[in-house]
Amino acid sequence: MASGAQLSSTSVNATKASPTLPASVYTLPQTTQLEALYTIIRDKDTSRGDFIFYSDRIIRLLVEEGLNHLPVVPKTVETPTGVQYDGVGFEGKICGVSILRAGEAMEQGLREVCRSVRIGKILIQRDEETTLPKLFYSKLPQDIAKRYVLLLDPMLATGGSAMKAVEVIMDHGVPEDRIIFINLISAPEGLKNFCTRYPALKVITGWIDEGLNDRAYIIPGLGDFGERRYCS
Amino acid sequence: MSVYLDAQIPEHSVASTQPPSVEPTPLPTPSPSPRPDSPQWTTKALTNTILKSHGRPPWYGEDGHAISQAFVIGIAGGSSSGKTHVARQIVRALGSIPTVVIMSQDSFYKRHSPEEIAQAFACRFDFDHPDSIDMDLFAACLADLKNLQQTNVPVYSFKEHQRLEETKYLYGATIIIAEGIMALHEPSLRELYDLKIFVQADSDLMLARRITRDVLERGRSVEGILEQYLRYVKPSYDNFVAPSSRHADIIVPGKDNSVAIELISTHIRRQLEQRSRQFRRKMAANLKRSLSQGPARKPSLEELDITILDQTPQLKGIYTVLRDRTASRQDFIFFVDRLATLVIEKAMEKLPYVDKKIVTPVGVETTGKVLGAESVCGVSILRSGGPLEQGLQRVINDVAIGSLLVQSDSKTGEPALFLVRLPVCVRERHRAVNTWVFLLDAQIGTGAAAFMAIRVLLDHGVRASHIIFVTFLVARGGGIAHLRQTFPEVRIVTGAVDDGLREVWLENQLHDTSYGADDGFDRSEQHKAWVVEPGMGQIGDRYYLD
Repeated sequence: MASGAQLSSTSVNATKASPTLPASVYTLPQTTQLEALYTIIRDKDTSRGDFIFYSDRIIRLLVEEGLNHLPVVPKTVETPTGVQYDGVGFEGKICGVSILRAGEAMEQGLREVCRSVRIGKILIQRDEETTLPKLFYSKLPQDIAKRYVLLLDPMLATGGSAMKAVEVIMDHGVPEDRIIFINLISAPEGLKNFCTRYPALKVITGWIDEGLNDRAYIIPGLGDFGERRYCS
Repeated sequence: MSVYLDAQIPEHSVASTQPPSVEPTPLPTPSPSPRPDSPQWTTKALTNTILKSHGRPPWYGEDGHAISQAFVIGIAGGSSSGKTHVARQIVRALGSIPTVVIMSQDSFYKRHSPEEIAQAFACRFDFDHPDSIDMDLFAACLADLKNLQQTNVPVYSFKEHQRLEETKYLYGATIIIAEGIMALHEPSLRELYDLKIFVQADSDLMLARRITRDVLERGRSVEGILEQYLRYVKPSYDNFVAPSSRHADIIVPGKDNSVAIELISTHIRRQLEQRSRQFRRKMAANLKRSLSQGPARKPSLEELDITILDQTPQLKGIYTVLRDRTASRQDFIFFVDRLATLVIEKAMEKLPYVDKKIVTPVGVETTGKVLGAESVCGVSILRSGGPLEQGLQRVINDVAIGSLLVQSDSKTGEPALFLVRLPVCVRERHRAVNTWVFLLDAQIGTGAAAFMAIRVLLDHGVRASHIIFVTFLVARGGGIAHLRQTFPEVRIVTGAVDDGLREVWLENQLHDTSYGADDGFDRSEQHKAWVVEPGMGQIGDRYYLD
């Protein structure tokens, strides 16, 4: 990170969801319009085409919000009308890391906002013996330690695989406060777990749902994101 | 020179074919209508072309209301008397009238029963009787056009002897000519005319023309023609058509009528000039006032009541790229698309939403929201509304996007409407009232193009409260205050508000990006234009050309 660059700690756009939430959690503005988008992707009768189109819209908004937590530096330019304009320039390199397989679904939305951004991948699955999340595969940009990381996983349920992924990324030399976790829906339990363990890591979530059912599915939720996006 | 707005004004008349027993074409020469030979009038041919011919000048005052109705002329006369010829001669003589439409009574034959169709094919159906015409619909369509609204005229097929399901959309004519043998017979039609013409020709001349036409063009026998003439055409003329001549303001001979045509067109021209003089006086004063107020009287953001995107670090960064004159074309396009998506997403919050119960794949029932609008479409003001279209398409799947081409006259600075291509949900009035429209333009400077575009939508029946104007930049010192005042219900969503609007001289700068005149000013010669400051330059040029 260039010296002098400041991490913008607050974003005008984001709203704090509720006073009981951890300080590092930001949700999108809870507009009626956003609720309508979620209604479409939650509905079990929604076609795959619509699911893709409308989840992409939410993902773009999430990525836009996530980027607002990156630093900018003052920059003055001359406009075509010959006037000086005091604006800002983007600062710091970024990359995405998606948690396979559902996280990949967020890559297109990321690329529409951050042109040709580098994207690493991590595969984490539940170990059948220990029932704990286990790393099976990771492929990350070589210089990831010098970058801000947007961690992509659409659903935060228990937070197990996300925490494992953060562990992997931090093992590659990325400080905790340079990671921004972006998801569409979180369960309050998972958020609490995650933020307790990584308090300096910012979480951008589109919607916080009621909770988890006995099979650890988010309710009302939207089912299996990857399944609906790729397979159903 | 007169120009027909592409797509909505038919070449010479609404009906393309003629019935076997009614309405001969006195002059079978191909299309004598005064379609201009230049400029090329399709969007494809517009590459680097400045349109110099007449568009439709503003038809509304500073209060946003129409200044006058369209000028309506009714032309009646016997079959083969030369009505169409007279209509065309009038159009030709008028010269520089922007838009004229000739509506033929033939389009308004009633829908027929199977028995009637059989009779028609056997030449036993009386097409010359007033009852064969749907006078109510004819009057309704004419009234729509007179009131400057769109109308959808029925299409009648003489091949099938039936009215077709399709209709022909018409909008934006300054002069409407309604012609048909019964054009002066029907009282409800007569009430709509500003000028009533009866074309008088000798019966033997009309019969002679009829025989010539039907034999040569339709291959019919003289016996058959005569039988039909005596059975239907002649009685109809004697009973209905000829008596209606007493309603006429002027009776024109069916041949050698150039003096009469000149008298008529002089009269019409004088009427129209009177209307436009009245208009210019009003508009000129207003334009000066609203633009020359300068920095002293800039409205506050609260007064303007416009929705501005949250000025987040990313948004500021995007604007910094777009305002930078050294930004590459690649960057400019990418960040315009990104910004467009954000502005449109913000504008989506203005749409109505209603509750909806759904079941999620987890089996949980929950109540959410769903869009409560019957239809939503986009209309972009060409050319610089185009850069917002990609954003709209990213947000609404398969959205219909219409377009309006508004250019400003280089001398008067007055906007003119050159092209109207609207989505189907706006073309039909009963749908337009339930349609929400995202009106797209890159910036609001003088506001003249925005003003005209909003007026077009209102003319079509779109509610002002259903129009959401989406833009990248609003000049606080420009026409926005007047626009806001005139159409308070229209919502405006913008990414940024700039302070300045400055008058500059532009010289032969077809592709010059040094100035931000984005109201579509004709730039082929030196003239004054308004630029937004600090602005983003000529957004259309930077997105499409540079």
